[in-house]
Amino acid sequence: MRLRTIKYFFKESFTSLVRNRWMSLASIGAVASALIILGSFLLLSVNFDHILKDVESQVEITAYLEDSLEQERISQLKKDFAAISGIKEVEFISKEMALEEFKEQVGEDLLEGIENPLPNSFRIKVNDPHEVALVAEKIEKFSGVDEVKYGKGIVEKLFNIIYWVRMIGLAIMVVFAAVSIFIISNTIRLTVFARRREINIMKYIGATDWFVRWPFLIEGMVLGLIGSSLAVAILGIAYKYLYVTVKLNIPMISLLPIEQFYNYAFGFLGIGMFIGAFGSSFSIKKFLNV
Amino acid sequence: MIEMYGVTKIYPGGQVALKDISLKILKGEFVFIVGPSGAGKSTLIKLLFREELPTRGQIFFGGKNITRLRPREIPYLRRRIGIVFQDFRLLPEKTVYENIAFAMEVVEAPGRDIRKRVPYVLERVGLAHKAKAKPSELSGGEQQRVALARALVNNPDVLVADEPTGNLDPDTSRDIMNLLDDINKRGTTLVVASHARELVDSMKKRVIQLEKGSLVRDEERGVYSNET
Repeated sequence: MRLRTIKYFFKESFTSLVRNRWMSLASIGAVASALIILGSFLLLSVNFDHILKDVESQVEITAYLEDSLEQERISQLKKDFAAISGIKEVEFISKEMALEEFKEQVGEDLLEGIENPLPNSFRIKVNDPHEVALVAEKIEKFSGVDEVKYGKGIVEKLFNIIYWVRMIGLAIMVVFAAVSIFIISNTIRLTVFARRREINIMKYIGATDWFVRWPFLIEGMVLGLIGSSLAVAILGIAYKYLYVTVKLNIPMISLLPIEQFYNYAFGFLGIGMFIGAFGSSFSIKKFLNV
Repeated sequence: MIEMYGVTKIYPGGQVALKDISLKILKGEFVFIVGPSGAGKSTLIKLLFREELPTRGQIFFGGKNITRLRPREIPYLRRRIGIVFQDFRLLPEKTVYENIAFAMEVVEAPGRDIRKRVPYVLERVGLAHKAKAKPSELSGGEQQRVALARALVNNPDVLVADEPTGNLDPDTSRDIMNLLDDINKRGTTLVVASHARELVDSMKKRVIQLEKGSLVRDEERGVYSNET
């Protein structure tokens, strides 16, 4: 493609953007608001994910051992557990260590003079939190294991929540993407309609379909890009504010760090441009049939 | 240059526009297509640059069967055909110069060719002094000259005109016809649909007459019509 032709495409699309400035502004606004809603939901779901991952990684299995077990059997059990597939880490917590931890939690004085009532135990982490229940079941079967505990029920509930957040998020995203495409497509349709004579003449002269298409595609992509940049800027400021506020006031909730937001921002601009291009290609199609 | 074999065109809805037309137009010829409104002149013209496809029959352009062109080949056929319409079809917001340059930009011609070629065709249609005017500032005849210049600027093999004088007064029409004749003498094949009887008669060119979609007469140095 000639540089001259590329210049022509950009000149045509910007002329048209300026000529239809009110409609252009309206569609930028519409795209921006659609993408802000889409983006808020994206951030919500990403953060939900982030928080839940945090919780997920804390899900561990505690296997309490019978008191009478000798050291040899305990070492053997550790080896056996480590051999079970899906297990990431096996840590032995002796009676004494457990007591130390307990003392730290409740205070030293309270336990003065009492014989250590805590059993030996293993703390087991698994690779995939989905397998917690399965692994726990296996561990329970070993002789010498007195009791196995894990956040039963909670884990399953968490996964359920994550699943639904993702599904609803996805559905809303699809709806808003469709709305944005519809709005841009309508804006471009106006441009295309206003220039149908020109398109008609171009086709008679022997312009290829792509030659006719490019200025409109660029126009759509510029609308999408400006709209999404606006959305990213507003979301970015709002998220920064939210992030700082949450960090100061509710320190136990860890939101997705602000730097991560920038990764999503680029994807967002891409989505905006894609929506614009898609919306405009929708509108041109009809007028190319000459 | 152009050959048609048994071409029939029936529009969706059953209207028969052309019936079994066979004809041959040689390179460098000047041919009038005549006949009353609805005889099929415009349809014949549209078939030439593949705006329409024939229902039956084959059409060859420069030896190539254009009824079998793939959609993406159509622009390249049209670049070999200059098209002029009754209503000029100029872009009102562009100047005369820009309207003609546009035709070259559309086919992605290099800038230096555009700067050389546009003044040349403007000169040829006698409008070099109106290069900066907008179409609305021109008379009908002048607008049609701009349209002619635009059709010529990419140096087509064939110039096709559908009622080029339909909107013009007799004197201006004659000027346009003379210009067409001049273009033809420089080697461009011309196919002109017209029902301007006297004008066609005076040109003494080959005349193909259509009547209700059928070819009823094809005469070298013919006149519009003997009867009626």
